[in-house]
Amino acid sequence: MGEVGSSEINQTARSPLGRSSLRQAPWWLIILGIGIVFVLLAMMRNEDYAKTLGYVLGGVGLSVFITVVAYVAALIIGLIAGLGRVSANPIAYHTATLYVEVMRGLPMLVIILYTQFVIAPMIGAQRNPALSGILALALGYGAYLAEVYRAGIESIERGQAEAARSLGMSAGQTMRHIILPQALRRVLPPLGNDFIAMLKDSSLLSAIGVNELTQLARIEGSRTFDYFRAFNSAAILYLILTLLLSLGVRLLERRTSSGRR
Amino acid sequence: MDDAKPIPHYIGTPIITMKGISRRFGHTLALDNVSLDVRRGEVLMIVGPSGSGKSTLLRCINYLELPDAGMVEIDGVVLSRHGVDLNRIREHVGMVFQRFELFPHLTVIQNIMLAQRIVAKRSPQASEQIARDLLAKVGIGEKADSYPVQLSGGQQQRVAIARSLAMQPKVMLFDEPTSALDPEMIKEVLDVMLDLAREGMTMVIVSHEMGFARAAANRVVFMDQGRIVEMGAPEQVFDNPHHDRTRLFLSKVLQH
Ligand SMILES: Nc1ncnc2c1ncn2[C@@H]1O[C@H](COP(=O)(O)OP(=O)(O)OP(=O)(O)O)[C@@H](O)[C@H]1O
Ligand SMILES: [Mg+2]
Repeated sequence: MGEVGSSEINQTARSPLGRSSLRQAPWWLIILGIGIVFVLLAMMRNEDYAKTLGYVLGGVGLSVFITVVAYVAALIIGLIAGLGRVSANPIAYHTATLYVEVMRGLPMLVIILYTQFVIAPMIGAQRNPALSGILALALGYGAYLAEVYRAGIESIERGQAEAARSLGMSAGQTMRHIILPQALRRVLPPLGNDFIAMLKDSSLLSAIGVNELTQLARIEGSRTFDYFRAFNSAAILYLILTLLLSLGVRLLERRTSSGRR
Repeated sequence: MDDAKPIPHYIGTPIITMKGISRRFGHTLALDNVSLDVRRGEVLMIVGPSGSGKSTLLRCINYLELPDAGMVEIDGVVLSRHGVDLNRIREHVGMVFQRFELFPHLTVIQNIMLAQRIVAKRSPQASEQIARDLLAKVGIGEKADSYPVQLSGGQQQRVAIARSLAMQPKVMLFDEPTSALDPEMIKEVLDVMLDLAREGMTMVIVSHEMGFARAAANRVVFMDQGRIVEMGAPEQVFDNPHHDRTRLFLSKVLQH
C-alpha cells in the first residue's frame, strides 16, 4: 500500500508544466539509436564490411538461442534454490546456500571451463560445447536468480503470510498462492536485467569454441587480419540486442509499478 | 453506539482455554504466565498500554506465535498435543488485523474465495455464493471485482472480516481492527462487529474503543507488562477499577 502512495506522488511530480516530460524522454537512447543506424548504413556501403557483418551476424542466432535456453533453466534452478534459501528446513537451506555461495564465488569463465573440461567428459558430452555452455550459464546464473527470488520473497510483508496462515493455508499454499505471485511481480525488472547480463556473458563461451557471436568475430578477424571490422561488427550487434532488451525491461518496469501490483 | 446492551444471547461453556502462557522475546517477557477462558458467544475485549502483550496473547490463541510455556485449548483440542493439525484449527479461528492484510494481487471476491477453495475445498460456485452473500452482509456487495487498493480503509477491513467469516469460524480474533482507520470509517467497521456480536459470534478483540466495549463486550481484560491485571464487566473495569495501574491507563486513554 505504501508503494501505491509513492507512485502517485511520482506521477503528480512529473506532470506539471510538461517540461519535465521533455527531460524524461530517453535522449541518450535516441542518440545511440540514431548512431547505430548510421554506423550500420556506413558498414553496408563498404563491401568488405558488409561481408564481415554478414558473417558475424550468423552467430546471433546461436547466442540468442543459448541465452534463452540457459535462462529458462536458470529461472527454474534459481526458483528452487531461492525457495531453499528462505526455507525453514535446515537441509534445504544449507544445500541452497552452499550452491549459491559457491557459484557466486566463482568467475563465470571458470564455471564454463570447468563444465566443459571436467564435468562434460565425465558424462561423455565434451563433443558439444554449446551444451556445456548452456549448463554452465544455467548453473552460474541460477545462483544469482536465487538471490533475486529470495529478496523478492523477503520483501513481502510478514502480515501477508500471517493472514494466509490464519485462514488455514499451509506454508506451501501460502508461498504458492500469496507470497510468490506478489514476489514475482516485484522481481520482474531485476530478472530482466539478468537476462541481458547473461546474453553478454554468453560471449564467454567463445573460450570453449562455441560458434556464437563473439567466436565468429574472432574467427573472421583472424581470417581477414582485420579485427577492427570484426569486433566492430560484433559490438554493434550486441548493442542492438541489449538496447532492445533494456527497452523491454523498462516497459516491464513501468507496467509493474503502475499496475495494481 | 446503540441503545444499552444489545447482547441477548446465551453465553456458554469455554471454547478457548489458556493456561499459564508465557512468551519471551530476547530479554522482554511479552507474556508472563497468563491464564484466560473465553466462553461460547462471549465478546471479550483486551485493553492495555502499548507493549503490554495484547497482540502476543491474541496470536498465541491460534499459535501464530508459539508460546514458550503453557497450554491453549480450542473447542476441546489442546494445540500442543502431538498430531494436531494446526491448519485445521486456524481454519476455524478467524483473525482480523490492524493493517487489514488483504491480498493485493487478488480482487475482493478472490480474496474471500481463495481459502474456501484451497483450504475448505468448496466448489467455485459455492465459494462464490458464500463470498457474495458475505460481501452483501458487510455492505459492499458492489466492490466484488475491485482490487484492495481501490477501496477505502473501512471497506478493506470489512472485506477482511468477510474473508474470515467465509471459513465459518468458531471464534473471531481482532487485533486493533479500527486503529488504522480514519475516524469517519471506524463506525462502519464497528457496526459490522456489533452485528456479529448480536448473532452470537465468539469474539476476542484488542481495541481501545470504549464505546464499543460498553455496548458489546461481556468482559474487559486489562493487561500490563505481560500480565492480566484486572478483568470484569466493562462498567466495573472502566468506572470502578480495582487497580491503580488500570486507573492510570484509563485516565490516559480517556484524555484523547
Ligand atoms: N516478534 C517480536 N520480536 C521481538 N519482540 C517482540 C515481538 N513481538 C512482540 N515483541 C515484544 O513483546 C512485547 C509485547 O508486544 P505486543 O505486540 O504483544 O504488545 P501490544 O500490547 O500488542 O502492544 P501495541 O499496543 O503497541 O500493539 C513488546 O515489548 C514487544 O516489543
Ligand atoms: Mg499490538
